[in-house]
Amino acid sequence: MKELSTERLDRLLDSVLKPSRYIGGEMNAVSKPFDQAELTFAFCFPDSYEVGMSHLGIKILYDIINKQPWALCERAFMPWPDMADGLRRENLPLFSLESRQPLSRFDIIGFTLQYEMCYTNILEMLDLADIPVYSADRKDGPIIMAGGPCAYNPEPLAPFIDVFQIGDGEDMMVEAISCVRDCKAAGKSRLETLRALAGIEGIYVPAFYEASYNEDGTLASFAPTDPCAPSVVRRCVVTDLDHASYPSAFIVPYTEAIHDRIVLEIMRGCTRGCRFCQAGMLYRPVRERSVETLLRQAEELENATGYEEISLSSLSSGDYTHLTELVTALIERYKDKKVSVSLPSMRLDSIVKQSLEETQKIRKSGLTLAPEAGTQRLRDVINKGVTEDDLIRAVKDAFETGWSTVKLYFMIGLPTETEEDLAGIGVLARDVINTYFSVPKSVRAKGLRVTCSASTFVPKAFTPFQWQGQDEYDTIIKKQKDLADILHQVKGVNFNWHEPELSMLEACFARGDRRMADVLYQAWKTGCRMDAWSEYLRFDLWLDAFKACGLDPAFYANRMRGEKELLPWDFIDAGVTKAYLWCEWQRALKGETTPDCRNGCQGCGMQRFEGVCSK
Amino acid sequence: MKMLVIFEKSKRIRHVGHLDLMRTMQRALRRSGLPVAFSNGFNPHMLLNFAAPLSVGTSGRREIMEVPLSKEISEADFKSALSAALPSDLPCIAVRAVDDKHPAPMSMLRAAAYSIEFYENARPLIDAIPRLLARDTIMVMRKTKSGEKLCDIRPMIYDLCAVDDTHISCTLSICESATCKPELLMDALYAEAGLAERSYCLYTRMQMYGENMVPLELL
Ligand code: SF4
Repeated sequence: MKELSTERLDRLLDSVLKPSRYIGGEMNAVSKPFDQAELTFAFCFPDSYEVGMSHLGIKILYDIINKQPWALCERAFMPWPDMADGLRRENLPLFSLESRQPLSRFDIIGFTLQYEMCYTNILEMLDLADIPVYSADRKDGPIIMAGGPCAYNPEPLAPFIDVFQIGDGEDMMVEAISCVRDCKAAGKSRLETLRALAGIEGIYVPAFYEASYNEDGTLASFAPTDPCAPSVVRRCVVTDLDHASYPSAFIVPYTEAIHDRIVLEIMRGCTRGCRFCQAGMLYRPVRERSVETLLRQAEELENATGYEEISLSSLSSGDYTHLTELVTALIERYKDKKVSVSLPSMRLDSIVKQSLEETQKIRKSGLTLAPEAGTQRLRDVINKGVTEDDLIRAVKDAFETGWSTVKLYFMIGLPTETEEDLAGIGVLARDVINTYFSVPKSVRAKGLRVTCSASTFVPKAFTPFQWQGQDEYDTIIKKQKDLADILHQVKGVNFNWHEPELSMLEACFARGDRRMADVLYQAWKTGCRMDAWSEYLRFDLWLDAFKACGLDPAFYANRMRGEKELLPWDFIDAGVTKAYLWCEWQRALKGETTPDCRNGCQGCGMQRFEGVCSK
Repeated sequence: MKMLVIFEKSKRIRHVGHLDLMRTMQRALRRSGLPVAFSNGFNPHMLLNFAAPLSVGTSGRREIMEVPLSKEISEADFKSALSAALPSDLPCIAVRAVDDKHPAPMSMLRAAAYSIEFYENARPLIDAIPRLLARDTIMVMRKTKSGEKLCDIRPMIYDLCAVDDTHISCTLSICESATCKPELLMDALYAEAGLAERSYCLYTRMQMYGENMVPLELL
């Protein structure tokens, strides 16, 4: 086993970019004696420290594990490439930030899967930790777990991960680590431990399942091979969010994280039913926290962190029942302490003018709106229940209350998209600008800034668009160019787009099967890592990896799937049923919209979960 | 009223850059609930003054930060509230209350003592110390904003000696017109010793001084 030498580590840290990423010891980080814990858990985030420390899930689970007196949770992040190379050169193992233990000494290593393009980093981190990347090669050492939104299609990672957690982690995590602790205390073997874990609701142990394929490459069968493994893995759901565990202190990084502030998770889930949105399907139904709970959490966190900003987090904060009451109370409480309140991911049809006026008392940040598509027809296809009038009313309100920066998010390559839909984006942008100039000079703020961002649509598992093929690379490039031309003609608009290469790889993994693991391994072996960072993405190596594995990216990214096709993630019961998703897909093609189920159950499948949907 | 805070920035915290340290201190002061004075204006912020920023990687045994206050408070109360709000690796060692007219520590700073520690025997380097000190001028290349410049650091070296085989200590000028960082002194010492290869070492600023070598924190 590689040992951590203080001298070599000191020297290495003095030679890398931003060494403060690797030091730990931040305010509110735990310091428990490593050797006294009955169970040790290394929470690994497969991206940089700055990205990982901005993530809410890690804060919640770190807190929950450390709340157990017998357990210890420490953190590790993907080292920046200079540090990763340095660790190899100096023969040092990847270590946890808190007590600088080599990761291989932990009982469990848990990865959070937020984004497919972090997958090579998982292999890289395991390798840096001196742990065999394939489960089958691990005879002892830590059990490798993974959870998070991408775990809903776990197959591309199946050979590397021992245990997946599907669904809300709060309760399941305690059950899983208790199980491992008990197995460890009872001296059970690795296999016995995995068997015990497989019996917990929400847990998927890929080694206990087998897949076979048809001649055309589609999945022929998928079934458990061990009696301990359920044939359907059911997602875990936290029913009472108001009483769910939430940290009373956040770790305060020394170096600035991307989001370095207090986050209040005001609710989980969104039932508006946008058909491209995986989160909207995976986190059903809507569960809210009470204003009382949130104000208490804000106070605890403010005292414990000294942060200057509170942000409200959810999939659609504008839908939170008590938004005005909450925002008003927060502003009232914190204005003297110079703490600002910000509302991200606001749905444009529910912006409360009153809240806007309240927030700008403290600070005016930009207004972000996501119409997603340029015409009403296409917005109906994707079930984005927002009209042009809604949008214009929202920006008018914003301009009248002194905002002048607007960001508009769109997707290109949505199902049924035509040239007219792209042209519609230009029309919307022009209307936003005209709205600004229609507000009297004496009222509006100076310096209008309108930015249009276009990302490439990536079809995701467990959405009504899971059967849809992604646009081919050349089509995406052409659409991006056309849109750039259209927006070029609108004076005063900035246009950004995302690299289509990344969206294509994302599409392959988002609906990939077990064979994608070979591509992943091959790409990593030939040097791919940090793919989400454009300066490190090596698309050429990825294409080579597909070739070397005899697989075609188009099979995964661009192919239309049929109703009867067995999909690699069909064995997971995410709550929303395949029948409901298919029905939504058919409605989408007809341009029929589906209303938010808060006003009437649509029968998505969640009603089968006890105590989840009251309707 | 202002409070001079003497704190230690060592071990893993030596890797924290100056801007990050300032933010860390601001947040600690916010957590402490102490009556820190804010600037006026659109974006009010704390006006913390540090005697001298440390380079990333260099430790500081007795660093000094000046905190303007909006209300009187006893030294003991201030120290205990701040200590409770600081991460354990960034301890507050002492505080001293001064009145608003007290000159900023940075303006009184003249020199600093450093300790330079090696993991391995540094004898060949140490042997070069008397030869270096015997020189009338010591010309080194110094990076400035406008590029590199040759300058004489001999008058900026107040003291330089070996403590033992792995440990050098020195006192160097640090003020607006004449600052010599310990790394620069080491450049000269390596050149004097004729050694091409560098040994890894850790730098620690042990103490800062004002006029007549009076510790800055007492001025
Ligand atoms: S079961 Fe009905 S109420 Fe519950 S999330 Fe699904 S559609 Fe909405």
